[in-house]
Amino acid sequence: MLDKANMPALADDVLISVRNLKKHFPIHAGWLRRQIGEVKAIDDVSLDIRKGETFGLVGESGSGKSTVARLMLRAYTLTDGSILFRRGSGDVVDISSLSERQMREMRSEMQMIFQDPYSSLNPRMNLLELVGEPLVIHGVGSRAEIRDRVAELLRVVGLRPEFLLRYPHAFSGGQRQRIGIARALALNPSFIAADEAVSALDVSVAAQNINLLQDLQEQFGLTYLFITHDLGMVEHISDRIGVMYLGRLMEIAQTKDLFSKPLHPYTEALMASVPQPDPRGNRARKRIQVKGEIANPANPPSGCTFHPRCPYAQERCRTEVPALRPVAGRQVRCHFAEELELAGVAA
Amino acid sequence: MTASHSMPAERLLDVEDVHVHFPMREGLVKAVNGVSYHVDKGEVLGIVGESGSGKSITARAIMRLLPRNAREAGGCIRFRPRTGEEFELSALERNSRAVRQVRGRHIGMIFQEPMTALSPVHSIGDQICRTIQLHMGFDRQAARKRAAELLARVRMPRPQQMLDNYPHQLSGGMRQRAMIALAISCDPSLLIADEPTTALDVTTEAQILELLKELQAETGMAIVFITHNFGVVADIADRVAVMYLGRVVETATVDDVFYAPKHPYTKALLNSIPRLGVEQGRRLPTIPGMVPDPFSVPAGCSFNPRCAHAVPGVCDVTAPEQHRFANGQAARCHFAEQLAEAVHA
Repeated sequence: MLDKANMPALADDVLISVRNLKKHFPIHAGWLRRQIGEVKAIDDVSLDIRKGETFGLVGESGSGKSTVARLMLRAYTLTDGSILFRRGSGDVVDISSLSERQMREMRSEMQMIFQDPYSSLNPRMNLLELVGEPLVIHGVGSRAEIRDRVAELLRVVGLRPEFLLRYPHAFSGGQRQRIGIARALALNPSFIAADEAVSALDVSVAAQNINLLQDLQEQFGLTYLFITHDLGMVEHISDRIGVMYLGRLMEIAQTKDLFSKPLHPYTEALMASVPQPDPRGNRARKRIQVKGEIANPANPPSGCTFHPRCPYAQERCRTEVPALRPVAGRQVRCHFAEELELAGVAA
Repeated sequence: MTASHSMPAERLLDVEDVHVHFPMREGLVKAVNGVSYHVDKGEVLGIVGESGSGKSITARAIMRLLPRNAREAGGCIRFRPRTGEEFELSALERNSRAVRQVRGRHIGMIFQEPMTALSPVHSIGDQICRTIQLHMGFDRQAARKRAAELLARVRMPRPQQMLDNYPHQLSGGMRQRAMIALAISCDPSLLIADEPTTALDVTTEAQILELLKELQAETGMAIVFITHNFGVVADIADRVAVMYLGRVVETATVDDVFYAPKHPYTKALLNSIPRLGVEQGRRLPTIPGMVPDPFSVPAGCSFNPRCAHAVPGVCDVTAPEQHRFANGQAARCHFAEQLAEAVHA
């Protein structure tokens, strides 16, 4: 499919690399639905995800974290940028330039798990059809083979193979999430994007499913993009974390570094906002309250998009857009990353 | 059922052995199966539990807003607001005059999704004014003035203009503030908050929790704060009731619940939450199995099939009574005392 000589360069340990990704959605208004502007949902996002790691993407609603995942799997067409992916064969492909047909073939290697286990499964399909569907589409095996494979997948995710002919309504939220995971695993992908995969689940069930995802990662050598707004969860599961705000990455760091010493004021604010299951700790903790709410992405603030809410903002932040730049072995988008002494959460 | 004894002076709300059932095609669901708790004047009672624990249905029984297919199968709910008169809420019809006097006037309510609780076709100002005029006998002008003051009090930007805005014009956080303004408009003695921050982002959640704490301190109202989030409850509650399958399994002060839990369920849940900045090892401790479906609640202690300390012949046979400790903590577990000693040893 690709000319080896023209293959894009990708560091050996990287599985997927997003470079200068942009996604702009048009805004239409009026009787003629004329385009009157655009929302920069994703503005210049670059990140590398290494083989076998879990990369966590955190941010509040409207930060664009889900959009990044959808762009990486080409569920949306991108406005600009490139996405390099290392295939199982070793070839490196720029996904952004593939045709729909070529992309379909790629999707066996990249899969997604969704948040809502209630709406992401077709209620009229039983488990055999649901989990077997990707196999049928990709023409893998005979009916008997598919049946065996589905039964095996159900076992892998901790569901009983006897459930083969049951429908999704017969299962709890946590079990439905497992059905979604089995479906994602059907074609042996190397990369899985999990979008708020445990956010809708109760505490005890979320813990079970997180453990399952980690077991599967070890068993099959999977690489995860783990998207969530739950900082406790993302800290637990991720090797590295990217923090997003209004369509931009504000900081990328190793999990430990990020939580012990954030370099971006937004990261600090996020951590300080999360109430902990620790009443004495909550009372003792300095609560940094960020003012206001996330800005309208159709009309983002000038300069650093976080400046209207940032307790450390200065004149320069209003006028000059900070670049995502390397600081102390990490990447930060703040003019004052070196000077600020920000508080992490005690390790 | 009638009130068996009088309420202590500091008591605001007494929920005693309340049962709410739902007859379904598949059988009878005992959504609330003998819930008892109380709220004293000016305190924040946090109610935590996973979905299906009955925490919201109990609150709806208090407000007399149970779904139409619900059957009340016993129990007594008594309420005595700051004005001094006592209401036996459990004896009142959902739309009786007395209930309408209590709801909105003495008990304010806020919910997870303000969009469903606020009217989409009336402006924020109209909704607040209507309530104030109805309960406090203000005229239109005075009500509008008070409504603007209330919006300022919940830190709404540009309160005057906000009066004429409709809910859909506000962000989630602002809608929640509008609903809080509405709920506190008549100086209620009790605010029932059902997952009010669950749909919000963490920075907005922190703002709303701070606001509720401030309003509570200023007005001295009590709050029943229902949530599934142990972090939130640790932040806002004075006392906590932990619910499982339609029962309160443990009650204690917030510190005792978090640092010296007596019920195995509380203990196991607290262990399964990932905490910021705390190394918990690669695998999270979990509770085996899942919450049983409401048609086949296990015999004996309903938590026994999932409990690490369950003793066959005891826990799967007899439903445990409440064990009370000297510090006021109470746990519904046969072995609460032994477990407590094990923790302190």
